[in-house]
Amino acid sequence: MFHWLEKHPFFFAVGVFLVISFAGLIEVVPSFADKSRPVIGTKPYSTLELAGRHVYIKNSCNACHSQLIRPFKSETDRYGHYSLSGEYAYDRPFLWGSKRTGPDLHRVGNYRTTDWHENHMLNPPSVVAGSIMPAYPWMFTNKANVDTAYAEQLTIAQFFSVPYNKAVPMKDGSTKVVKMGSTLADAHALALAEAKVIAADMKNQDVKDAVAAGNIPEIVALIAYLNSLK
Amino acid sequence: MNKLYLAGIIAASLLLLGTYLSVGTSEGGLNGDIVNQLAVLGAVFIVLIAIFVVVKYVRQMQTDTADGKLADESWDGIGEYKNELPMGWAVAFFSLMVWGSWYMTLGYPVNAYSQIGEYNEDTVAHNEKFATKYSDISGDRLIEMGESVFLAECKVCHGINADGIDGKAANLNKRISVESVKHQVLNGSNNFLLGSEMAMPDRNGLFNMNSGELISDAEIDAVSAYVANGMSGAGADVFAGACASCHGDDGKGMEFVAPNIVAFTPELVANVVTYGKKGAIGRMPNLGDRLNAKQKEAVGAYITSLSK
Repeated sequence: MFHWLEKHPFFFAVGVFLVISFAGLIEVVPSFADKSRPVIGTKPYSTLELAGRHVYIKNSCNACHSQLIRPFKSETDRYGHYSLSGEYAYDRPFLWGSKRTGPDLHRVGNYRTTDWHENHMLNPPSVVAGSIMPAYPWMFTNKANVDTAYAEQLTIAQFFSVPYNKAVPMKDGSTKVVKMGSTLADAHALALAEAKVIAADMKNQDVKDAVAAGNIPEIVALIAYLNSLK
Repeated sequence: MNKLYLAGIIAASLLLLGTYLSVGTSEGGLNGDIVNQLAVLGAVFIVLIAIFVVVKYVRQMQTDTADGKLADESWDGIGEYKNELPMGWAVAFFSLMVWGSWYMTLGYPVNAYSQIGEYNEDTVAHNEKFATKYSDISGDRLIEMGESVFLAECKVCHGINADGIDGKAANLNKRISVESVKHQVLNGSNNFLLGSEMAMPDRNGLFNMNSGELISDAEIDAVSAYVANGMSGAGADVFAGACASCHGDDGKGMEFVAPNIVAFTPELVANVVTYGKKGAIGRMPNLGDRLNAKQKEAVGAYITSLSK
């Protein structure tokens, strides 16, 4: 057989390719599959959080803010535990970013609150002296796009088996269920219920009125998303 | 002497001359610098070895005849000698096998570099250094440390001067504000200020023992102003009737029962930092994982010092 292979370079090349691919497959694929599995405590984004993520991407927050904490003492002191690949299991696409004009936001939900974000997004220098971050006043009036968020939820639940309406294990041993509406109206109702919780902690009367009237300003969705980053 | 030898000698001399010139004209030159002298000596040796090796093999190619035995196989008419396995090669081959098995089973798995491993070592080393350096820090130095912790972790909400940036967070230059007292009385509180669960009832559980009835709106306003004013002015009677049974006659609190509402204490601040808090202004996140015990003590000392 080897003599035959030596006389037929094409099939020899095919054989070499097969052997190397097999080695690659058994070395790379199991480790890759294991590392990309969601970490315990990572849960899918709710409708409102996903709408907030779209606001985050739409305003290019990821151009200045990374979402990846590297394993250095100086970095974990400031931002919290270093990032694990499984924590991005439900990020499509992930928003690692490659530049930190502003600080990392991967665990910002642990150390900033709803009312702080509210003050900060309207006028960053009012809370962080000397901040060069621009203000985002339109987020207080623009409506969040719940339809698109729900469309994304439906898609990823169907094609990537993202566990909506299923128990997801949390770090303390409990489980959590992230709900996804069965109809669009249902999704709007779920998002509004979440928005009401956020708006209760906010100070801006226009935003509170809008949520009470059934509209969700972008800022509410964005804060829901930022609070979910833990 | 043919052209090849001549060209070889000319090339070698040029290389040696070049080495001598570049080394000799560099700083220090040949006389002052042992490294430069060694470089020239090394160059001479390399040339000598090269001449010896080239001459040996050129001679061999010119004069040698084959005396080995050819192998039976013939590859497209090219034969191959049957040679003994060279000893050096065999030794190298077998030692490589031994080293390879060690490396696969122990060498790599045990000694491999890992980024997380380096991080863990860094963290342990840093924590040890921190513990030894600051084990007996106290007084003004502790307050200084607290100030730098405050500037790193707390100033984004409470402001550089700890004044709460126009009501965006609690003003820490003062123990408690009128709004805050009023909020706690109206809504009750369970903020782990003592380090454990110890709920304060809301207004529906606060009896004024002087009147024998639930605390009234006017009394709430009076006692709020009284407490926020540092336990002075009108409202002392309401405090004595409704609050003193837990917070003490002087408002300094009771162990395991109620916190001090006259002044900050380092323990109180450390508990707020550890457990977070929800009050009149909003929610403060818990920063328990972000600071170690000494840093919490320090920030407690700093905040206590602000309102003294």
